[in-house]
Amino acid sequence: MIKDITIGQYFPGKSVIHRMDSRVKLLLDILYLVILFTSQTFTGLLVGILFMVICYLLSQIKLIMILKSIKPILPLMLFTGILNLLFITGEEPLFKWWIISIYPEGIRTTLFMLLRILALIVGMSLLTYTTSPIMLTDAIERLLSPLKKVRFPVHELSMMMTIALRFIPTLIEETDKIMSAQKARGAELDTGGLMKKAKSLVPVLIPLFVSAFKRANELATAMECRCYHGGEGRTRMRQLKTAPRDYAAIVIMLILFAGVIVLNCIPIIP
Amino acid sequence: MDIIKTENLCYDYILRDDDGKIIEQSAALRNVSLSVPEGQFLAVLGHNGCGKSTLAKHFNAILTPTSGKVTVDRIDTADEDRLFDIRQTVGMVFQNPDNQLVATIVEEDVAFAPENLGVPPEEIRVRVDDALKQVDMYEFREHAPHQLSGGQKQRIAIAGIIAMQPRCIVMDEPTAMLDPKGRREVMKTIKRLNREKGITVILITHYMDEAAQADRVVVMDKGSVLMDDVPRKIFARADELRSVGLDVPQVTELCGMLRKCGVSISEEIIFEDECAAAIEMLPLKSRTADMAKTVAAKIVDIGEEAARLENLTYKYSIGTPFEKTAVDNVNLTVKKAEFVGIIGHTGSGKSTLIQHLNGLVKPTSGLVFIDGKDIWGKDANIRDIRFKVGIVFQYSEHQLFEETVAKDIAYGPKNMGLSGDELDARVKSAAESMGISHLLEKSPFELSGGQQRRVALAGVLAMDPKVLILDEPAAGLDPKGRDTILSLIKRYHEQSGKTVLLVSHSMEDIVKFATKVLVMNKGKVFCYDETDKVFERTDELVAIGLDVPQITRLSHRLREKGIDIGNDIYTTDRAAQRLLSLIKGQDK
Repeated sequence: MIKDITIGQYFPGKSVIHRMDSRVKLLLDILYLVILFTSQTFTGLLVGILFMVICYLLSQIKLIMILKSIKPILPLMLFTGILNLLFITGEEPLFKWWIISIYPEGIRTTLFMLLRILALIVGMSLLTYTTSPIMLTDAIERLLSPLKKVRFPVHELSMMMTIALRFIPTLIEETDKIMSAQKARGAELDTGGLMKKAKSLVPVLIPLFVSAFKRANELATAMECRCYHGGEGRTRMRQLKTAPRDYAAIVIMLILFAGVIVLNCIPIIP
Repeated sequence: MDIIKTENLCYDYILRDDDGKIIEQSAALRNVSLSVPEGQFLAVLGHNGCGKSTLAKHFNAILTPTSGKVTVDRIDTADEDRLFDIRQTVGMVFQNPDNQLVATIVEEDVAFAPENLGVPPEEIRVRVDDALKQVDMYEFREHAPHQLSGGQKQRIAIAGIIAMQPRCIVMDEPTAMLDPKGRREVMKTIKRLNREKGITVILITHYMDEAAQADRVVVMDKGSVLMDDVPRKIFARADELRSVGLDVPQVTELCGMLRKCGVSISEEIIFEDECAAAIEMLPLKSRTADMAKTVAAKIVDIGEEAARLENLTYKYSIGTPFEKTAVDNVNLTVKKAEFVGIIGHTGSGKSTLIQHLNGLVKPTSGLVFIDGKDIWGKDANIRDIRFKVGIVFQYSEHQLFEETVAKDIAYGPKNMGLSGDELDARVKSAAESMGISHLLEKSPFELSGGQQRRVALAGVLAMDPKVLILDEPAAGLDPKGRDTILSLIKRYHEQSGKTVLLVSHSMEDIVKFATKVLVMNKGKVFCYDETDKVFERTDELVAIGLDVPQITRLSHRLREKGIDIGNDIYTTDRAAQRLLSLIKGQDK
């Protein structure tokens, strides 16, 4: 069933990582990506992963969750991995059979790339695991707030994101119900060619849109009743405040960055 | 002091074309003059379309009058500069809890209004915690709304309003979409806010038992106020209420029946306790009633089976920590032409159970037989089963999609491969049985909610299924709409002789029609028997948390007082007949 899909994978908690300022967390996560792409050595990537594992332990998110977050993109990793393995050429093939030849350079690049993707996902997941969607949108709203000066609708954008996040589970459940109802009337939703499939979706999509518009209308009235009038003069209950732990995190991250650059410069390190 | 006052309020709905010319104009409110004193609990009754929601929207300036005047705490609602003062004073809660929650976390949602008002963050924190405690949802403050039940979501919506610290809360059918448990939770919250915090409550509702708990009831019809009095005086005018599509509490109806037979009992009784006390005061010749049943339940026992479940078990999310057994080893046989009522509270497995009958859900283990054939057997075609067993889901009007009612009804039969005259005949006869023949060429989206639901029902009937399953067909309708749809279903059952399964939270609805009743509890069959026999066990039904009819509760109260009218009381007719056998001077 569709409703089995989980959206928003936030795990509430009280750890240091959870309590970090979400703006800082977001920026440091971006810095972490920069670090990964700067690193040219296996050691550098491994240090990066090790660092994230420590963060997972600190945040009390189970390490098994790393595997869970890798699962969806495993096919993609395998696919690019195999392509790299087959098409990167070097001097001396390690292995040759029919038209396939594999070079040691290919293996190195493939491993390096896979490790980099792994490190990337591990880092990104930690952000979504420890930061609620609302704090994330909040962080984005505040980080983008200088753009208000050039008339960029920052508040509206974050409000839209919040409402979208709020209604995704509701609409998924609704889709499930409508599909059941039409199937009960003999609809064939998953057979036939592409055209037939598209056509058979009409009885699902129309009711879904009708209901979404109705919901939007009612939500707008409910928001008006609660005195919503855009971002002007609005306060926030949850104040984002930087604490010493945030500065500590910034320093640690910068040290990591420097370390990786140093590793790049030492020729004997793999 | 009056918190809300309307003077000669009129409101017209005006439909304009692209040039701003008026195409259509209809009066929704006519000369409504009403004042609500601070601290009052006012209930507003009226059938759908009587203007009560339009009136409610005037109370916090969502709408402003076409003519006349509305004042909130002496502020004219037409004064746009004071808009936020008005909306802070009078908060509003709507029917669908899902469409009122904005944020992905409960406490963030409650904070929404104070944030809009620019309240300082420290104070918002205090207000949010306080509001959540008042609706008894504090421990859920970090949950996501979609993890909560309907009743819990509605309480969050109320907390979101309380956080504005309003002096009045207007609620537009807040319990219409909730199950009995959710309704109880919300009503308890509403009453506590009114009694303990002194907040004025204006409650629009279709439930007479909710209105009975108010200080004052206003009945609306055709855009104007028809009656305005304390509940017991209002419900004493039962015939007038019925003429505008409303109803009275069961005990009031009972007292009316007794009075018609010459028994002198007050007409102003609305609660079971006072009714039991009044009955105790009557001249009784005995304290145990003559238990003869005049209405012998018609047991249709043709013997042939229509559907059978064998050791049916269904589990969700197998292999994860969330694994849950929704249906647990159910054995059940439904015979042809039977009308079976299915009750059980939310999560008892009844919805999952019915979805097994037409193969929408595949059992984890066990077998499903329709017409003696295993529907998951080798030679079975699951799509044919769906045409044999028609399911009408809850809020079935949400599945309509075609341009016209006729086309929508034709969708099912067309999927069966029908066309031409046969298709037309099917559509016509289905529309006929749901009483919507005159609407066939209209768009389903311009009909009223009750009509839409009948269209959806006709869409399933047009497939001419052998077994018809209805999930809460009357949910969310007004009393007249409920009656209409339920009697149409009854007529269909009698005329077609088809097997009908009716799932409902409302025992009142079930006992009116069902020959047999299935009670589900925690995924298991709690009992499955003839209606009378099931309701002999009302004590057990109450024990598993089901809501029994008010008249049944009355019989329990009487028994506590030593007056026995039997333990199979669930209709006012039977209660009246038993009571009459007790009262002196009623020997016919």
